[in-house]
Amino acid sequence: MSEKQERSHKAQKVLERMGQKLNRQMVGSLVACVHCGMCTESCHYVLANPGDPTYAPAYKADRIRKLFKRHFDWTGRVFPWWVKAGSVFTDADLEELKDIVFGKCTNCRRCTMNCPMGVDLATFNRMARGLLVSVGVMPEGVAVVSKDQWETGNQMGVLKEDYVETLEWMAEELEEELGAPAADIIPIDRPDCDVVYSINPREVKYDPRSIADAAKIFHVAGESWTMPSEGWDMTNFGLFSGDDALGGSVSRRLYEKVSELRGKRLVISECGHGYRSTRCEGPNWAQYDVPFEMESSVITMLRYIKDGRIKVDKTRNAQPVTYHDSCNFARSCGMVEEPRELLNLVCTDFREMYPNRAENYCCTGGGGAMSMSEYTPQRLKSGKVKAEQLKATNTEVVITSCHNCVDGLTDVIRHYELGMEVTQLVNLVANAMVIE
Amino acid sequence: MSDLLHFSEHGLQEGALLFMALVYTTRIIWFLRFKAGGDRQAATGAPGTTPMKGAVYSLANIALPWGMESTRRKPLLYAQFVIFHLGVVAAISLSMIIPYADWLLESTILVRCFQAIIGAAFVVGIIRIIRRVGSPYMRAISSPDDYFSLVLLTVWFLSAVLAAPNDATGGEGHLLTFFILTAFFLIYVPFSKISHYLYYPFTRYYLGKTMGYRGVYPVRRG
Ligand code: SF4
Ligand code: SF4
Repeated sequence: MSEKQERSHKAQKVLERMGQKLNRQMVGSLVACVHCGMCTESCHYVLANPGDPTYAPAYKADRIRKLFKRHFDWTGRVFPWWVKAGSVFTDADLEELKDIVFGKCTNCRRCTMNCPMGVDLATFNRMARGLLVSVGVMPEGVAVVSKDQWETGNQMGVLKEDYVETLEWMAEELEEELGAPAADIIPIDRPDCDVVYSINPREVKYDPRSIADAAKIFHVAGESWTMPSEGWDMTNFGLFSGDDALGGSVSRRLYEKVSELRGKRLVISECGHGYRSTRCEGPNWAQYDVPFEMESSVITMLRYIKDGRIKVDKTRNAQPVTYHDSCNFARSCGMVEEPRELLNLVCTDFREMYPNRAENYCCTGGGGAMSMSEYTPQRLKSGKVKAEQLKATNTEVVITSCHNCVDGLTDVIRHYELGMEVTQLVNLVANAMVIE
Repeated sequence: MSDLLHFSEHGLQEGALLFMALVYTTRIIWFLRFKAGGDRQAATGAPGTTPMKGAVYSLANIALPWGMESTRRKPLLYAQFVIFHLGVVAAISLSMIIPYADWLLESTILVRCFQAIIGAAFVVGIIRIIRRVGSPYMRAISSPDDYFSLVLLTVWFLSAVLAAPNDATGGEGHLLTFFILTAFFLIYVPFSKISHYLYYPFTRYYLGKTMGYRGVYPVRRG
């Protein structure tokens, strides 16, 4: 296509904004690829689609890289054809790019770990997503969820009344077992607590048992804790959509609520992307220096057991279990040993999945893929790799510390008829807990 | 020695080197003008993992074939990588030794060593060309620059093997070819993907620093 061709308004904006998004790390990743192909087989999409090179990480990266080369790098400006530099002109070009950056990559960062040059595709793939989102080009689900999170402060559009009602309902369910009044079991908006607990809206909508299990653990540990009535969603669709403004706004809402309650520590329930967004990326997006500590509930539960604040009987979880490392936990936050330590304390037969830790394969639901139904068939096809991994463990229960992975894995298990159950550490800990 | 060969060994090389240095300097200035992103949050990961440890691990990655699944599972590709790059170092060294320290090449053992290393790199170059052309995955990610750079280096290796004895008694053609190719190589490199070694320290340092801060590097396996 000729460079003289007129560019659509959206395509023009994407290119202009690209210049504002580039930082040194990203530019390094954009210029350093030597097209060696070492990353090719690290991607679950490639492994599940043999013979189709369009899923290769470097191929996908080059769809973004060509824009950088054409507009920001001298070689591509002078000899575009020589280095495969190119541009976007029409809205159809943007749609095509959308199908790659949203539909063919879960930003899992596995290729990054396997690149000898240190090229971090996931980072600039996220940038490309953000550029497209800024001109309204995104999968329908991304638009819906982003809108919900902007409007209601949580990505599932849970209303405040429904949230509070769910907490009260869970507290009432526990009243008899714990012998305490509901208001003390799940305290809401209590100031000056040691712990403010934030959750994933999925827990309110589909998995309130996790809230009850966490409440039980906090109560038995004698924790001074509370749940905020607002600013409680620790998930952040900005991570997936590449929209730093949304990312910053969601994080700030959470941080400011904890500060308002004068909480000493923000505990983040089990969620890979929620933990990464709130704990690691949020302060950067929001340009906010967080004045309190933040930790994953995995670490909190582990500490309770180690400090003797809760007692557990691991024989209550006697079935063989395996553990799936969430990409965001393992490859972006270094959270790999703590979940294993906890698992070994609360169940008797933990079996590793291979590969694991920072080399684990994505559950297929990463990067917000669960919300992009138009790509479901290719996502499930890519799940073949995960399915084989799960099957080889010879277990019937897979544990993960991520709500997104719970959904991704459940889909894969159903699709490949593996007959496995997916659960989280909080459920195992609550089940193993001895209440005297 | 003819005037042409003398010029090729000295004036041409020095000019090409100067040009390369100038373009590289400009390139680094351009790169450093992009602001580096930082991490505001407290560190994550196991205690003891630090940005510096991460950066060192990341930079050392090149010598840790067991560190990445991609090199661990493909030891032959890793071996090719090592041989190819040793060949580059040897051929560059040769282009300095012939004009400035030719007495070194009076040692037949040294000449044979150069020829063995660069010859092996030439064979790897051929294997790499076959892989790049033969694999649909490699074709899909290759640009004209990728093909040209690879062919250029492979031909240059061959010329270096022939030039290594530094013997012009049978004619100067092979020496002229080596030095003209070296000069072209030096001028072309900054514009091609061969300049990746310029970025390597930066990309690996920044990735390592971030991953170290987040407790991902050094990678733990189990
Ligand atoms: S491994 Fe790295 S340098 Fe090689 S093709 Fe992949 S991204 Fe490029
Ligand atoms: S980030 Fe993950 S899904 Fe995306 S290309 Fe790399 S390995 Fe594949």
